[in-house]
Amino acid sequence: MTITETLSSGITIVELCGTIDASTAPELQRHQAISDPTQTIVIDLARLDFLDSSGLGAIIGAARRKEESGANMLLSCMNQKVRRVFDITGTVRLFHIFDETAAAIDYATTLRKSQ
Amino acid sequence: MKTLIAIKEADCAWMRETLPDTHPLLAPLCNKPFVEYLIDFAILAGCREIRLLSDGPLSQIEEYCSNGSRWGIELTYSNLHPSDEEQELLRKNRKFCDTGRTIILSGYNFIDYDKTLDYRSLASIDSAGAIASCPGGSITLAGPPEPSLTDQPLPPVGLTPVDDLKSYCRIAMTTLETGSSRYVLPGYGGEPGCAIGRNVTISKTAQIHKPASIGNNVRILPGAVIGPSAIIGSNVIIDKGSTIKESIILDNTYIGEQLEIEGRIASKNTLIDPESGVTLAMQDPHLLAGINGGATALVLWRKIVHALAAALLLLLLSIPFAILYPLLRLRGKWQDGHSIPNAGLAESIASALSLDRYPLLPGVLTGRLAIIGSRTHENRAANHAGTDCRPAVFSYAETEAWAATESDAAIVERYHALHSTPLGDIGMTIQALINRIHYRNPT
Amino acid sequence: MNSVITLTLPGDIRFSRLASQTASNTASLFTDTCNAGAGNWEFSHAFELAVSEAFTNAVNYGDRMQGTRNITITFTIEQRKLTVAIRDANAPFSAETPEPDIETYPEHGYGLMLIRTLMDTVTICRENGENVITMTKQL
Repeated sequence: MTITETLSSGITIVELCGTIDASTAPELQRHQAISDPTQTIVIDLARLDFLDSSGLGAIIGAARRKEESGANMLLSCMNQKVRRVFDITGTVRLFHIFDETAAAIDYATTLRKSQ
Repeated sequence: MKTLIAIKEADCAWMRETLPDTHPLLAPLCNKPFVEYLIDFAILAGCREIRLLSDGPLSQIEEYCSNGSRWGIELTYSNLHPSDEEQELLRKNRKFCDTGRTIILSGYNFIDYDKTLDYRSLASIDSAGAIASCPGGSITLAGPPEPSLTDQPLPPVGLTPVDDLKSYCRIAMTTLETGSSRYVLPGYGGEPGCAIGRNVTISKTAQIHKPASIGNNVRILPGAVIGPSAIIGSNVIIDKGSTIKESIILDNTYIGEQLEIEGRIASKNTLIDPESGVTLAMQDPHLLAGINGGATALVLWRKIVHALAAALLLLLLSIPFAILYPLLRLRGKWQDGHSIPNAGLAESIASALSLDRYPLLPGVLTGRLAIIGSRTHENRAANHAGTDCRPAVFSYAETEAWAATESDAAIVERYHALHSTPLGDIGMTIQALINRIHYRNPT
Repeated sequence: MNSVITLTLPGDIRFSRLASQTASNTASLFTDTCNAGAGNWEFSHAFELAVSEAFTNAVNYGDRMQGTRNITITFTIEQRKLTVAIRDANAPFSAETPEPDIETYPEHGYGLMLIRTLMDTVTICRENGENVITMTKQL
């Protein structure tokens, strides 16, 4: 798994590449932008090939901590394989999911302004 | 032009109580899954790309609708947040909606369309906004108008909320009465007002009164009266002399003998009055009288016949069992209660001779089991709880090739449990033995 | 004729991807030989996910005091059915894992839920001193 971080309109975009399972999920949890509860981020999943429940758990945990401190985690470009994991576990309703990263960034900026 | 179909779990939670195993979008409305009416309308409006959005699981719908190629459209799936309004939906699906016109169908509502009319002017109407709305949602146009494909004005579009069983029933009945002149409805019909699915057996003395819609794999036994206004789902048996009027019989339901069902919804073993919402679990002896109702003499006779057959099988299979059992056990291929894997010669012989059921046969001699009846698989125990099943070595379902799924099997078992005779059972057992050679390891 | 493929891996989470990728490849091979079409990503993804979950469980529930032992994954290819069994010789673990309380969306416990949804049959048992999870799926 590789994690690439870029900045657009003051919003951090974290691109996840490759696979997230029990062997790589700890790395995700340690990542600064993901673990920082006060930072609103967009996670770009376009190039994520595989996600299992360990990865899902890491994402849910980080999103919850962000939400508790008033920040957000938005998801974008979820492919079929990744969506299936969210779908079966019923965790889709926890997230705001966008089909392009630019739309997610726009939404994140409006969220920030309204706060 | 594109369509977003947005359904929130909260809109259709009530439907899950009636049909817990079916996604509300797949709930049958006049024998056609609800979602297909929405797709039909989008297609009539000229859309070729549709996206389904929900805040709940969509996998069941994905399995059924797949990529939409069967309608000649491109169907994709995504998710929404329970708090999303139209604006958020457009934003979240910006790539899909692109810069063109989008129709948003939101809520669990029935769209009153007419397949003979042209709705393509939806693409070119100047003003965006809701063209129809009801408390449960709306049909909303978004994005700039597209070049006109038609010079016809927009026909009226009605929207009716499906928010309880009463409205569901009413809409289903209206759809049935309006019939296939207006809606795209499944089934074959030689005349208007009557549609019949595949593999349907109707007794010569049964009567069908229009309008009626009958699904697939249905048996209608002598003297039964179907309709007027009856919607019979798939895998249904209507037993002798019963009347179904102004009612909906959902899939996998058995209706016992001499029953009058009027203004009701029947689903498996539950009868629902859509007006009051009162439900009645059909465990009472009137509905399943045939199972327990046989005279004691018949029960005894059945036990004797079954025991004799079991004794014969025990004797015949004792030699192959004595040889193959230790062999398979040693090779780890024998697991109690499991079917034998189809590997190797010994396994094939053992499986063809149904040796996996051999250890159950003494149970028939003691009267604990029947030779043929319902197989009490653990995963099926729940379905049978409360209904009178006859635990047995072989299953009636194994005599029929079409009983591929659990619910198919359950309905076959119920039918035969009611209609079998002790001697007929022996024939069925032989058939099960032969069938198991052809269709090995059914579970 | 049935084909059996066996893979033995050290009980270390670093190898989880190897396990799940092998599962995915085996399932693709199976669907190809059944002429089920190359587009059947759902089938191979189901195995990829289920084996990933089961392997993680086998490692995590392993007896850490003794060091986790090897994990054996066996694929059995039948005519229209693919079976995978995952065995580990660790201390017994309870199959009575509670379903996650979906209302509160916990961070853990979705593994068995995914497996049960994706596979046709799932059995978890203790056999000859090993934990065995057997999963099958028909095409």
